[in-house]
Amino acid sequence: MSKRTLSRIAWYAVLVVVIVLALAPIAWMLTTSLKPESEIISTGIQWIPQTFTLEHFQSILNRYPMAQWTLNSLIVSTAATLLVLLLDSLAGYAFARMQFRGRGILFTIILSMLFVPIQITVVPLFILFSRMGLTDTYWAMILPAGANVTGVFLMRQFFLSVPAELEEAARIDGASSLRIWWSVVLPLARPALTAVAILTFLSTWNSFFWPLIVTRTDAARTLPVGIAQFLSLRPGMVQGQQSIGQSMAGAALAAFLPIIVFVVLQRYFIEGIARSGIKG
Amino acid sequence: MAVLPQTARRAAGIKDGARTTARATPYLFVLPYILVFLLFRLGPSLAGLGISLTNWQAVGSPQWVGLRNFEAMLLRDTVFGVALRNTLVFSVITVPVLLVMGLMLALFLNQRMRGRAVGRVAVFTPYVVMSTVVGVVWTWILDKDFGLLNAYTGVATPWLVSERFALAGIILATVWWTVGYNMVLFLAGLQDIPEELYEAARIDGANTVNAFRFVTLPMLAPTMFVVLMLTIINSFQIFDQVYVMTSGGPGTATLTLVQYIYTQSFQYQKFGYGSAIAVVLFLILVVVAIFQTRAYRRGLEGVS
Repeated sequence: MSKRTLSRIAWYAVLVVVIVLALAPIAWMLTTSLKPESEIISTGIQWIPQTFTLEHFQSILNRYPMAQWTLNSLIVSTAATLLVLLLDSLAGYAFARMQFRGRGILFTIILSMLFVPIQITVVPLFILFSRMGLTDTYWAMILPAGANVTGVFLMRQFFLSVPAELEEAARIDGASSLRIWWSVVLPLARPALTAVAILTFLSTWNSFFWPLIVTRTDAARTLPVGIAQFLSLRPGMVQGQQSIGQSMAGAALAAFLPIIVFVVLQRYFIEGIARSGIKG
Repeated sequence: MAVLPQTARRAAGIKDGARTTARATPYLFVLPYILVFLLFRLGPSLAGLGISLTNWQAVGSPQWVGLRNFEAMLLRDTVFGVALRNTLVFSVITVPVLLVMGLMLALFLNQRMRGRAVGRVAVFTPYVVMSTVVGVVWTWILDKDFGLLNAYTGVATPWLVSERFALAGIILATVWWTVGYNMVLFLAGLQDIPEELYEAARIDGANTVNAFRFVTLPMLAPTMFVVLMLTIINSFQIFDQVYVMTSGGPGTATLTLVQYIYTQSFQYQKFGYGSAIAVVLFLILVVVAIFQTRAYRRGLEGVS
């Protein structure tokens, strides 16, 4: 065999190892969720269940309002994403294209918040939403997500990188700034808007710390917070009634949707994430 | 460029009213975001800073105590010390691993080979699974008696149940979960490097190792800076996996700063003290950022 063939074989061998390591935990979660409990607690490694069962899926759905949590997560993430797209495309456009007093200092203040951990804000936010009577509501999760910093930054970077000729032409034709933003700028900004949408959706969808604090009931509780209740597995804790199979079934249900969406839209995901690393 | 319409207007002698609207326009564009930003980000950050200087405990009114929270934390609170140490240990191990592994995976999956796209998707997939699901699944994988990992290694390592291995278990889960994110950032950086540079290096007789050292690494420096910064910020804020997998235990073996903030603020209702810990976390991040930016600048000067 030539040296070239050998290195090709080596490359594919490594590829297989990488793929297996990346996907094994997810596959194991699925396998476990489909096994009867007696088979789960056996020492051998059994990748294909000897007996298939859907009992864990049934019982976890009976035990917990997973559909409600998923719906809550979808509503909060979608609303937060739309809010961010609106606010950030307006602000990012102004910061990139318009001259106004205080622009530099405002933008610096916004960017500096990247280093301020949100943990500083949770006590004041909690009190703010308590006073407004909005704890345990979607609003308490949507509004703070609207204050995100990366989105404004990414939109501004994008507008700095595209030429302004089309806008100037529209302006000479007498279009108003808002009109130009809506019918000229936004269509041009599709790649940046997609990236910001994916980043925002993903981070709101995965958000845990703040929703854990601000939700109390299943009416508002999002999926990550709900899943965190599957704790009877936790070592050292008294084993609850919930079985490992049930926990894995719940985990699989929660992982299913994002994985499917990702596989279908992977190109946009990867482009979106790549954009978030663009140096300022 | 944006000055053009104003000057054009002035030249055309448009009335003052029109000019005022034009001058107000930028503010109208930024206003919605700024309002939300002030109410839900900047305002609460400053308020948090203020609350950290009080002894507020949810009920009653806050009393000003100056720096006493910080004094108590740094001088007397041994649990805070443990949380700080755990967070540092976690970051010192996780950050380099995520950086090196992310870069290696990116280099590997940047080769022009069929199947690399499948590899990229596979490596990134864990990242779209939410943190608490990762926690639940890895608690099972790391189970001492029936876990997948111990079944393969043949050693009954007490991953999450012993003080010695608990943090290591959380590190394993975290690396698996987030390495794909860094890989994607590095891939983007690699694709920005112009192919001509490699050709030039080849003509100069550089082998693969030299090309990596003298083309890839220096060209990747800006990406490296961003990835390092993001990874550090995220590591210091680790919470979700810990909450699910060990909730800080056994004992305080995996207690982290954010977990401690959560417990103090919302389980013991010590708003003042909890906020003070958050302020310390903020200060750590600022110091790290300053050091890193300095090192980066110096590195750039060294190259040019």
